[in-house]
Amino acid sequence: MFSLSELWKITGGQLILLFFAFVLMFVDLYCFQKDAPEKRMNKMGWLAVIGILAALGHVVYREWDLTQVVFMGVFSMEKYTAFLVVTTLIAGLIATLIGIGYAQNNQIIRTEYFTLSIFGLYGAVAMLQSIDLLMMFIALEIMSIAVYVLAGFLKKDQRSQEGALKYFLLGSFGSAFFLFGVVLLYGVSGSVNLSQIAKVIAAEPLNRPEILVAMAMIMAGLFFKMALVPFHMWTPDVYEGSPSAVTGYMATVVKAVAFGAFVKVFFVIFTPLLAGSGEPIFQGVSSLSALSVYWKPVVWWIALLTMFFGNLIAVSQQNVKRMLAYSSVAHAGYMALGILADNGEGRMAILFYLLAYTFMNLGAFGVLYVIDGKERQAQELEDYRGLAYVRPGLAFLMSLFLVSMAGLPPTVGFIAKFYLFAAIIKEGYFLLAALGILTSAIGAYYYLRVIYMLYMKEPAHEVVPGRVNLATYLAIIIAAISVLYLGILPSNVAKLADVAQSTLSFVF
Amino acid sequence: MNGLQLTYVTFMPLLGVIPILFISQKGEAGKALIKWVSFVTSLLVFAASLRLYAGFDPSNPNFQFVELAPWIPAYGISYHMGMDGLAFWLVMLTTFLTPITILSTWNAIEKRVKEFHVAMLFLETAMLGTFLAIDVFLFYIFWELLLIPMYLIIGVWGGERRIYAAIKFFLFTAVGSLLMLVCIIGLVYFHKETTGILTFNLLELYGTKLPHIYELLFFAAFALAFAIKVPMFPLHTWLPDAHVEAPTAGSVILAGILLKMGTYGFMRFAMPLFPAGSEYFTPLIITLSVIGIIYGALVAMVQPDIKKLVAYSSVSHLGYCMLGLYALTPQAVEGSILQMINHGISTSALFLLVGVVYERRHTRLISEYGGIARIMPIYATIFLIITLSSIGLPSTNGFIGEFLILLGTFKVYKAAAVLAASGVILGAVYMLWMVQRVFYGEVTNPKNLTLKDMTCREVIYMLPLLVMVFWIGLYPNFFLNKMHVSVNKFIAQTKVERYKGPHCPVQHASLEMNQAAAHGQVAGH
Repeated sequence: MFSLSELWKITGGQLILLFFAFVLMFVDLYCFQKDAPEKRMNKMGWLAVIGILAALGHVVYREWDLTQVVFMGVFSMEKYTAFLVVTTLIAGLIATLIGIGYAQNNQIIRTEYFTLSIFGLYGAVAMLQSIDLLMMFIALEIMSIAVYVLAGFLKKDQRSQEGALKYFLLGSFGSAFFLFGVVLLYGVSGSVNLSQIAKVIAAEPLNRPEILVAMAMIMAGLFFKMALVPFHMWTPDVYEGSPSAVTGYMATVVKAVAFGAFVKVFFVIFTPLLAGSGEPIFQGVSSLSALSVYWKPVVWWIALLTMFFGNLIAVSQQNVKRMLAYSSVAHAGYMALGILADNGEGRMAILFYLLAYTFMNLGAFGVLYVIDGKERQAQELEDYRGLAYVRPGLAFLMSLFLVSMAGLPPTVGFIAKFYLFAAIIKEGYFLLAALGILTSAIGAYYYLRVIYMLYMKEPAHEVVPGRVNLATYLAIIIAAISVLYLGILPSNVAKLADVAQSTLSFVF
Repeated sequence: MNGLQLTYVTFMPLLGVIPILFISQKGEAGKALIKWVSFVTSLLVFAASLRLYAGFDPSNPNFQFVELAPWIPAYGISYHMGMDGLAFWLVMLTTFLTPITILSTWNAIEKRVKEFHVAMLFLETAMLGTFLAIDVFLFYIFWELLLIPMYLIIGVWGGERRIYAAIKFFLFTAVGSLLMLVCIIGLVYFHKETTGILTFNLLELYGTKLPHIYELLFFAAFALAFAIKVPMFPLHTWLPDAHVEAPTAGSVILAGILLKMGTYGFMRFAMPLFPAGSEYFTPLIITLSVIGIIYGALVAMVQPDIKKLVAYSSVSHLGYCMLGLYALTPQAVEGSILQMINHGISTSALFLLVGVVYERRHTRLISEYGGIARIMPIYATIFLIITLSSIGLPSTNGFIGEFLILLGTFKVYKAAAVLAASGVILGAVYMLWMVQRVFYGEVTNPKNLTLKDMTCREVIYMLPLLVMVFWIGLYPNFFLNKMHVSVNKFIAQTKVERYKGPHCPVQHASLEMNQAAAHGQVAGH
């Protein structure tokens, strides 16, 4: 039965975010009017940080141990969701901290920036929590629209505008595909609730064309958000055009949400084992055994192509930000391995990788914007020449994040990749593992190219990196410490991720 | 008492890094302080490793000073360190060479001193860890950890084409080792299938039953990773580039220690983990080793650049090491390990010596020199001694190693041994010819007339190497008896059947010894 206290208990994180989003809007209207605009922006940023921290606190302390459905079977909370929510909130937190400094460097004095990023986070959390396809779609749109606007936040910059429009148009297509899939499933089962659908589908012959088409549609829609080849075409332009702080936000939050939702939808709906017996007996069992003949070959190729394309095209990029965009495509490809593995280790590896990716990617974007100063001032590889001797700290941190992305020890990137490859090798995909790991050697090449620019070239012209804002400092340091800590002692967090993935089905 | 000895030795260099990070390198005083801190740290590491020497029991074939702590228990990964007779001298070599290397860079590295010493100390930790790790995952971490500092050392402080060389070095090594990672994981899961235990512990992984095809595949992947590092013909092409472009210190570490990690990898991992795969590929590896010996020597002969000559001579010398390992007789394997040490000493010494003239003249072309024996007599003497050691003159270290390898190989692969012996002659040809052109005759180039002889510092860091040349050459048993039992255990693990057959009593005896060692190992568990 519906009860407010239950609702608050389970979706408190979301509600806090929603509340703060509105608070920010009103504060913007009525408070701090006498402050200088920059100072006001700063205050709003810290307010947003407080909001995210409050939500994070609620999730960690009150929602972590729950295993419950609420709000007429729309939202659920279990450790799997909680882990992803924490990941996205951390991503949002770091991105907002970076955003404070970014706004200052780029003279962005519109406080909607923070309102929008909190709305986006709200959408992300809602989507992760929802077990109802319609709610999922709505939340997806809430998140996406906020991000579309954020992408175009540099009003006078054409690249930013172009990116935003491109993202909006193509993103709408992606969402439409997702919606089509939902509609077809509704047609088959008469419900939009994940577990209801699963029960109905279990009784049907699995290769009914509607079900297969629905599966393909949902795959296409979510693959678009994950930026897997061949649905990645928007990524480089959008990532390059958007403000750097937003790019980091997009690359981490949206990716975490899309992967989280994908695993959940596929795990629950297309898992006849569960629906037949009503019990989570499939834990540790290959979940999609019946349908896997249809989707596994597809994901096999998509993962391979994504890793290859992402890494190969990144090699030829001269712009560091664009290179990171392609590299984020490649990282999505690695995570797709976890989907393909389709076992507990694979899901655990995805969760761990998302968290790891949050730290290393946002860290890299944080340093990137600091070096950049004002957007697009110093993003080319050439601008990084010899920077290590002008700003040793920044150069070291950049190298750390890039080494982590390249997957070298003792950073978290290595451990995260190790988990993914271990999961897939366990299922016997030796060829894909070998090919995939070779692409990470290609990856190492372009990441190291940045490092040699930083360390091995003499400075060509005077680069004046932007001032490092306190908030940015904080964000980058948090990211760097996490990258090292998780790289050396991954065990505790990996255990949490493992517990989290094992609860995936408990509430249904 | 030997609770954490290996950890101390391995991570002590990192302790030295911490103060260095806080010393400003602006001004001469700061730079000097950084150098001293780094040098003293490396000396302390050497002292700590002497404690290992004192505590090492040469009659025990198992791992000693073992440290075991769970690290990632969900995957059966642990922090597992240990040292046996195979690794013992390599560890000592590492701690011994590092202070010498650091001392040699005193004046050669003038820019970015702080970064250089941080990289060096970091490198030392990674190298020691590689030799000491028993957990396969831990080994892999150390193995990869090494890439970044070495990449930086070549790329930042190297010569003209340093970036090309650094990236080539990195990519060659990374590609090989990444495939190895896939196979490590594969091996672990096969092990889990047969025994139900998920573990990365090397000792438990030994003897995993694999389907034949996977055994071959996995061996091939491991062998590729290690063969690139050794480097074996035809995967050696990164080596001359890396050596020529690297600063002297980089070359010394590269030749002295890094290459040994390849042969060590064969010895510790590839061969005992996949004995059948190893046997299958034996003819190929023996052939490639012999080709490497002769090819390396022939190419070295025509090099106009002294450093490149020494680099190609490494290809040749490491060919001996591989040949000895694959002959799998006790003499050959012991000779092979000794040859690794020898190569670490004499080739490092050669690189250091090349560095000495390079610092003065900034050229390494043989044609630029000539007749400098008269101008730099001390230098010429030391150079000649090291040359003789490198070509294996009796009473120097090189002779013992090559002799043991050839002796051991001759018992099993006569043709290979005969061909490899011709490499000894070729070695004498290219080295002595180079010495003749550089040191003897008239002084043809007037720039050489003003060359200063070796300074006190330079002589000091060469002295320990000279002592080692004769110590190993005159009393090899001191070194060999630390490895006897471990080598026997290694041979027993890798292949027992090969020694079957009554026609050879000597080998029969060694079989019994091996079996005894194998029993000892079982009892030891």
